[in-house]
Amino acid sequence: MTTGERRHVRNGLLFCAPWLVGLTVFTGYPVVASLFYSFCDYSILQAPVFSGTENYQRLLSDSVFWQSLRNTLLFALLSLPAGMVVALGLAMLLNTGARGLAVWRTIFYLPSIVPVVASSMLWLWIFNGKFGLLNWVLGPVWRWWGATPPAWLADPAWAKPALALMSLWGVGNSMVIYLAGLQQVPVELYEAAEIDGASARQRFWHVTLPLISPVIYFNLIMGIIGTLQCFTQVFVMTGGADGAPARSTLLYALYLFSVAFYDLRMGYASALAWVLFLVIVTLTIIATKLMEKRVHYAT
Amino acid sequence: MQPKTRLGKVVVYALLAVCSMVFLFPLIWLVATSLKPIEQTMTFPPTWLPRGPAGQIAPQWVNYRDALAAMGGTGPTAVPFVRFLANTILVCGLGVIGAVFSNALVAYGLTRIPWRGRKGLFAITLATMMIPFPVLMVPLYGVFKSLGWIGTLQPLWVPAFFANAFYIFLMRQFFRTIPEELSEAARIDGCNEWQIFWRIILPLCKPVLAVVALFHFLAAWNDFLGPVLFLTRKPTFTLALALQNYQNQAGGVPWHHLMAASAVVIAPIIVLFFLAQKTFIRGIATTGLKG
Amino acid sequence: MAWGFWVDIICGRLMMGGMYGRWGVGLIMLLVLVLGCQRVPADAGRVTVRYWEKWSGDEAAAMQAVVDQFNASQDRIFVEFLSMSNVDRKTLVATAGGDPPDVVGLWLQNVYSFADRSALLPLDDFIRSTGQTTTEWQSRYAPVYAAMGEYRGAVWAVPSAPVTTALHWNKKLFREAGLDPERPPRTVQELDEFADRLTKRDPRTGQIVQMGFLPQEPGWFAWAFPRWFGGEYLAEQQIVIGTQPGNRAAYEWSAGYTERYGLEAIRSFASGFGNFASPQNPFLAGQLAMVLQGVWMDSFISQFAPDLEYGVAPWPAAVPGQENFTLADADMLAIPRGAKHPLEAWEFIQFVSTANRQAQRVEELTGVELLCYRQRKHSPLREWSPFFEQHHPHRYIAFFRQLANSPNAITLPKIGIWQEYRRELDAVFADTRLQRKSPADALAFCQSRISESWRWHQRSLERRQQ
Repeated sequence: MTTGERRHVRNGLLFCAPWLVGLTVFTGYPVVASLFYSFCDYSILQAPVFSGTENYQRLLSDSVFWQSLRNTLLFALLSLPAGMVVALGLAMLLNTGARGLAVWRTIFYLPSIVPVVASSMLWLWIFNGKFGLLNWVLGPVWRWWGATPPAWLADPAWAKPALALMSLWGVGNSMVIYLAGLQQVPVELYEAAEIDGASARQRFWHVTLPLISPVIYFNLIMGIIGTLQCFTQVFVMTGGADGAPARSTLLYALYLFSVAFYDLRMGYASALAWVLFLVIVTLTIIATKLMEKRVHYAT
Repeated sequence: MQPKTRLGKVVVYALLAVCSMVFLFPLIWLVATSLKPIEQTMTFPPTWLPRGPAGQIAPQWVNYRDALAAMGGTGPTAVPFVRFLANTILVCGLGVIGAVFSNALVAYGLTRIPWRGRKGLFAITLATMMIPFPVLMVPLYGVFKSLGWIGTLQPLWVPAFFANAFYIFLMRQFFRTIPEELSEAARIDGCNEWQIFWRIILPLCKPVLAVVALFHFLAAWNDFLGPVLFLTRKPTFTLALALQNYQNQAGGVPWHHLMAASAVVIAPIIVLFFLAQKTFIRGIATTGLKG
Repeated sequence: MAWGFWVDIICGRLMMGGMYGRWGVGLIMLLVLVLGCQRVPADAGRVTVRYWEKWSGDEAAAMQAVVDQFNASQDRIFVEFLSMSNVDRKTLVATAGGDPPDVVGLWLQNVYSFADRSALLPLDDFIRSTGQTTTEWQSRYAPVYAAMGEYRGAVWAVPSAPVTTALHWNKKLFREAGLDPERPPRTVQELDEFADRLTKRDPRTGQIVQMGFLPQEPGWFAWAFPRWFGGEYLAEQQIVIGTQPGNRAAYEWSAGYTERYGLEAIRSFASGFGNFASPQNPFLAGQLAMVLQGVWMDSFISQFAPDLEYGVAPWPAAVPGQENFTLADADMLAIPRGAKHPLEAWEFIQFVSTANRQAQRVEELTGVELLCYRQRKHSPLREWSPFFEQHHPHRYIAFFRQLANSPNAITLPKIGIWQEYRRELDAVFADTRLQRKSPADALAFCQSRISESWRWHQRSLERRQQ
């Protein structure tokens, strides 16, 4: 290396020093340590004791683990597609050149920056079976169908849909990203397609979607990573870490937290964390493979 | 895609109006409930306007004062609301300073200095974004415990001074748009890297610095998991954690106070958003788009 | 844009002069770090003992009075009393983090699991430092309360306020239904019959407007139903929740209420229940005629429904010949491991576990009697002062004292994984009353889970002893 290059390396390392320290202390060490702990019996009040693959064996036979995993995947299945459709729909509405774009955009975006604690409490109240806003508004609809309005968060069958509904309120963030993506689609392409006789639906499927596919992909991956780690809403709404009612809202991150800090089984919690990591990576790879053919990056 | 027909336009506006109502309803409901006396919060069918004894519209502004007073508990060990606010501002403020400076430094090092290892380091940075927080949670807790920081606010803002993969990524995108010739010319003129960073590059980056500052402030203000894990003493609680105080009371949840306090916690964010709208939107859009 | 303007100004000023700029930034950062860094505060003067307690409202005020009395009685220690929700969980997190309170008011069910996890300090050494043996010291309590804090050969916690539970019934509703208002049900069959007669429906809508009894309200003692019906949780170090017949009978009985009255009807009726400590409490509001509740109920009745005519009786016999059955529990005080001031914490705990035996007037009440007097509970001590015995505000305090000493009074099983066990039992209760699982299935599931957990727990303990 020449002196110049050496100087550059030194400067580069100096400037990156905060990140190097941060990477080591706040990411590198914890990753290695938690892998180690996952093979130990560790209660943080006593030193870790090596226990082999016991935690992983226990995991496989732990039905609450499987239930929380199922709950989380179901929740993701309910909220992710719906969220993408709503966000994209709203973005397309905003992209029609309607007047007052800034106002509409603000209204849709604002709920996504409300502190999750506050919004969880608010929605807890809205979902109340007797006095809640939602049942008052939707009550007539239910009765017209001849059914009784659901008790939402008090009913195990409706608790996850309630959570998914709540998550739809916060699509503002993805909506803005979709809007930015839509705004980058050249108008000429639409015009050309129209001239070629394409209907609105065909224009959507063959012009819009392919051109915003990178944005869709990005939102999908972010959505998977975020939804699988959902914690604050269920923690606040179930007042602790139980996933009431009847564990229907016991999401994975909540179970992990409860095992770590209420049962003080940090070794087992670390094993749970690594399994979560594996699940996220697997889903991300699956999503990537599925979208591979469809994502077109603008050249 | 623009609607061509008048009908199309009307449909668009109608949809926008309906969706706006749906999105605004909860917030309006929040404010409405915060102004009612407790008995009127639990009526069916729900009422929108708070009524006085003679049936007139009588918003209970006193709820706000009572809610904030009750937030930290009652009696000799009550913690005043201002304390929670101060804690939150401290964490957010220090975090913002740390985030802006450390990430700018690192992004500069990764993009403006041509050195061998930078591509590898960036790849590692990207990889770490995939690691879910639960994996780091337990050992991180152990690290802070051995430092004796559990029960203080340090774990909430000190890590911000050591950069963060997401903000590095954001800043890197921006730094790369500044022409390389600028740095080269400065180097030829005899400036050292720090001077180039401080005098030339940083002033050009105000937009992305503002974005990072804003994002971190928002994240720190809304953070709940961090405070739940690391804060053990009520006088150190942040607003997000203190808000939960209302919830598990044996006497039942005082919904009117809870909504009032929530409104107080949400309000600064809304104000911040209105002041810095363009920065917000630009920042988010940048995260999703390539390059 | 206003934001950009301010960023401009600040950055501009900082970068203006080379010297000012750099030093300015450095100074600001130094200031910021100094102000921002907090150590856990050290106290000057009196030693501050942090005390976390679960109570709120009036019950907290009662303990505050005791704390004030202690603080006024000496000038070396100042007890800082904090009432918190989820005090057990928060204490565990704080203990794990190395910053626990010095005294914590736990539920009895926490004590055994915390002890097994080494989250508590054993109190034996502290007791010995008073010059008495453990047995002598513990003899101040009625036997059922003395035994509670003992586990694996050590004392981990002492009772502060006792909990005895009884069947409370609404005399007026009994009268209206044509039942003798002075005669409570004595067996579970009678309980079900009385409940039937006390249940009223709205003739137009068919909705339930009043119920005689509902096992899920308050639902805090549902874990005890198996013992009530003659079952067992642990036999010879084996988990037997799924195999003992009494356990199944218990959940079949509680699920029977859903069968008789209808899942939706009950759900809709129950969603109208107000909060426990409010006039909308279903028993206080006259929606429920009978309820299993604790000794504290009298206090809440006087507060929120002073006109309520009610009576108390032991739990109706679920097993023939079972007389004076009750569940005895207590709030406990313990010292977490890692507490900064354990000796001072013990002094406070000592104060709370004594009372002025000669108190003739209310001002002479001290320690645990003051606490129990204010909270309207009976005292866990064996002997009561004359004032406490004769002028206690609770109408039926003598009954509760007797009930607590009944031979059929059960208390919490001393199982290290009791918290988890109890959570599973609550899940069985919920699943069976919501008709998601049959009692046999729910118990079998509970059995497999808890026996697994029990095995892991035993193995973990063995490993640590090596």
